[in-house]
Amino acid sequence: MKRLLLVYVSLAALLSGCCTPLTAPTSPSSTTVPTPGPTLPPVRIVYGLTLAPSGIDPHVNASSELGIPLTSVYDTLVYLDPESGDFVPGLAADWELSGDGRVYTFYLRDDVAFHDSTPFNAGAVRFNLDRITSPDLASQKARFMLGPYERTEVVDEYTVRIHLDEPFAPLLDSLSQVYLGMASPAAVQKWGDEYQLHQVGTGPYIFEEYVPDRYLLLRRNPDYAWGPVVYEHTTAHIDEIEFRFFTDPATRSPALETGDVDIMGEIPPQDAARLEASDGFYIKATPIPGASLMFFMNTTRTPLDDIKVRQALLYATNRQAIITTIFRDTSPVAYGPLAAETFGYEPGVQDYYAFDTVKAATLLDEAGWTDSDEDGIRDKDGEPLVLDMTLMDWGYIPEVGQLLEAQWSELGIGVNSQVVKYPEALEIAEKGEHHLIPFNLSGSDPDILRKFFHSQAGFNWSKISDADMDGWLEVGARTSDWDERQVLYSQVQLRVMDEALIIPIRDYVNLNGVNNRIMGLEYDAQGWFPWLIELSVGIQ
Amino acid sequence: MQTAFVLWLAATLAFVAMKLAPGDPAQALLAASGATPEQVAERRAHLGLDDNPVLQYARYLWDLVRGDLGRSWLHGRPVGQMILEQLPATIELALAATAVGVVLGMGLGIVAALRRASWLDTAATAVAAIGLSTPTYWSGLLAIMLFSLHLDWLPATGQGDLSHLVLPALVLGFALSGSVARLVRARVIEVMEEPFVMAAKARGVPSWRVLLLHVLRPALAPALTVIALQLGFLLGGAVVTESVFARQGLGKLAVEAIVWRDLPVVQGVVVFGALVYTLVNLAADLIQAWLNPRLQEGLA
Repeated sequence: MKRLLLVYVSLAALLSGCCTPLTAPTSPSSTTVPTPGPTLPPVRIVYGLTLAPSGIDPHVNASSELGIPLTSVYDTLVYLDPESGDFVPGLAADWELSGDGRVYTFYLRDDVAFHDSTPFNAGAVRFNLDRITSPDLASQKARFMLGPYERTEVVDEYTVRIHLDEPFAPLLDSLSQVYLGMASPAAVQKWGDEYQLHQVGTGPYIFEEYVPDRYLLLRRNPDYAWGPVVYEHTTAHIDEIEFRFFTDPATRSPALETGDVDIMGEIPPQDAARLEASDGFYIKATPIPGASLMFFMNTTRTPLDDIKVRQALLYATNRQAIITTIFRDTSPVAYGPLAAETFGYEPGVQDYYAFDTVKAATLLDEAGWTDSDEDGIRDKDGEPLVLDMTLMDWGYIPEVGQLLEAQWSELGIGVNSQVVKYPEALEIAEKGEHHLIPFNLSGSDPDILRKFFHSQAGFNWSKISDADMDGWLEVGARTSDWDERQVLYSQVQLRVMDEALIIPIRDYVNLNGVNNRIMGLEYDAQGWFPWLIELSVGIQ
Repeated sequence: MQTAFVLWLAATLAFVAMKLAPGDPAQALLAASGATPEQVAERRAHLGLDDNPVLQYARYLWDLVRGDLGRSWLHGRPVGQMILEQLPATIELALAATAVGVVLGMGLGIVAALRRASWLDTAATAVAAIGLSTPTYWSGLLAIMLFSLHLDWLPATGQGDLSHLVLPALVLGFALSGSVARLVRARVIEVMEEPFVMAAKARGVPSWRVLLLHVLRPALAPALTVIALQLGFLLGGAVVTESVFARQGLGKLAVEAIVWRDLPVVQGVVVFGALVYTLVNLAADLIQAWLNPRLQEGLA
């Protein structure tokens, strides 16, 4: 049976008229097919992931890593076109929003089946949303992407309504992401707690096998014929894609160079330049939309309760030097809370706080911080100007912290830094025991700002309570008109910089190393998730 | 009976330690999700964290008795299943390290005993002392610097073929060899002075025969207990070594769970470790008895 299937898959690959000639598989472990007639062995590539995710059920777990394979296992109701920023049909052929903004009606495709042959319909959508919102599932992300979700109503076999307690503009953006992908109700019921290891969607790839911490294997779905217009191809070319985990950054580019891996995420910047210069590989740099890497300044703790000191820190920061030294110019300088790639980005932030040590020194003098005892550190009323900086252990944050410390020390600003794990950083920030703490977060909707600058926000690490901003952010989340939202979010971004709440550092860029034989590597609007259906293997 | 008590004690200590540790698991899990403070509070309630600690403790013990280790808050999967998945990597390292420790420890111990009070004894005893007193997070880093970075002989971290196992097994085995060497040395010296060994020597039995047939068997029995204790300990997860070498295993699982305040996993690993530990010890007692017939009467 399995042999027959493989023959079929290979034939299908041949017949689908793919534009590039297929090469023999690189992995000796791939199954060879006894060839009756002119068939090719299955084409298999290996994709290197950077961490073994803590759980990979997109409805339950929150990692970005899980979306890299699973975006091709699940389809979503709608898709976000990364070029235009428009939402386009996916499993929903069409949709409409009620006048009060609280009811979305989705008209579903009637020709879609899950990989286990379960038909896709309105009941399946309701099953999925019920599952995601069930307290017992204890969702870590998907549930909250639904915002003020109330319930789902099945209107008829292919019509479904999502009711909200209040309007929620980011809903379509949420529904376009793998976390709200549609899973087979039959498979979910069958596997229960172990569904993670047996996931079933409707996407261009079938979830074949997952051995936690070791590998994850996807197999091409030959029946796939309902892809969104943003997909160029109707079915996938590559027969099998194996994902392996490379947690140690130092091992990533060697794995690529030895041919163990065809695509590798998050190549360290210093290796990227070398790969780019080499013959056999190229770098696909994908900017990630969302919140830039920024240091939050605790506005409730002396001396950062003084805006002059906060502004002085901004002027004292040479961002370009950080980008050049640590990121080898692979990341753009960040000027505000949103990465330039994000919809709703306000370019006006670029006019703020250009590197200027003279201004920084003047502001500190004005604020009363001078080096009266001449020990190299400024002081005021006998207190030295030393800031507590809490750093996390990912994304070159410790290195950035070190460089900030060096840059600021020339102006007589002392830094007391410690590197901690994420949950501990959360506690420190929650209690407000920091002066400075960094964070970055990916997301395609500017509503992400609400997580950082609303007075009730979980990441309100600047400890700001600004009634204007609260209002703009709340209205922005409820408003469906894009132009109105843009105005609101521009105001928020400018206010954040006017008030000097953060020190923006860099926009996140995912550096993917790719073997030259791989073609068609494209990423979705989130920047993290590849559209595996577009991949093909050419002759080197 | 004793086993049950040890398990209860381990389970209780794990529970108390995690209760005393600061931090809110619900907040850690949901901070980045955009959940409202009310939703975080709901999750906390749903995880049972708002209940009376006594009630939480009772519920937890009852689940344990039924063999239910619960579901990981972070992974969303059954803890028992996750432990089973990590087990092969841990067993692999534990056995390899024990083998290194036994061979090295016995070698050092025997050499030191036979060349007692010579420079060889001093050297072997010193090596054993270093092994015993060097923490693996330090010796591990030294080994990585020397063999991976400087000499480039072996991979520094990760999992895979046998070459990935060599460094962690050596580092952990070296630490283990110290206690084995000291014990073996002391016992061999003791046994060498027993009348039956004297007699064998007097009969003109070659010294290697004396050592193999007459000295080693009685001398090794106590070492076996130490080895079993260590093996049982390692099977519970060589936490530090696994972390230094970025290896999979129960240790890695436990560390991640502690960082994330993932209570069910922490408790599961601790209880499982205690179970393995007691079982291995039981096995060691039985083998002891077989090696040393005098003990059988005591057992019976």
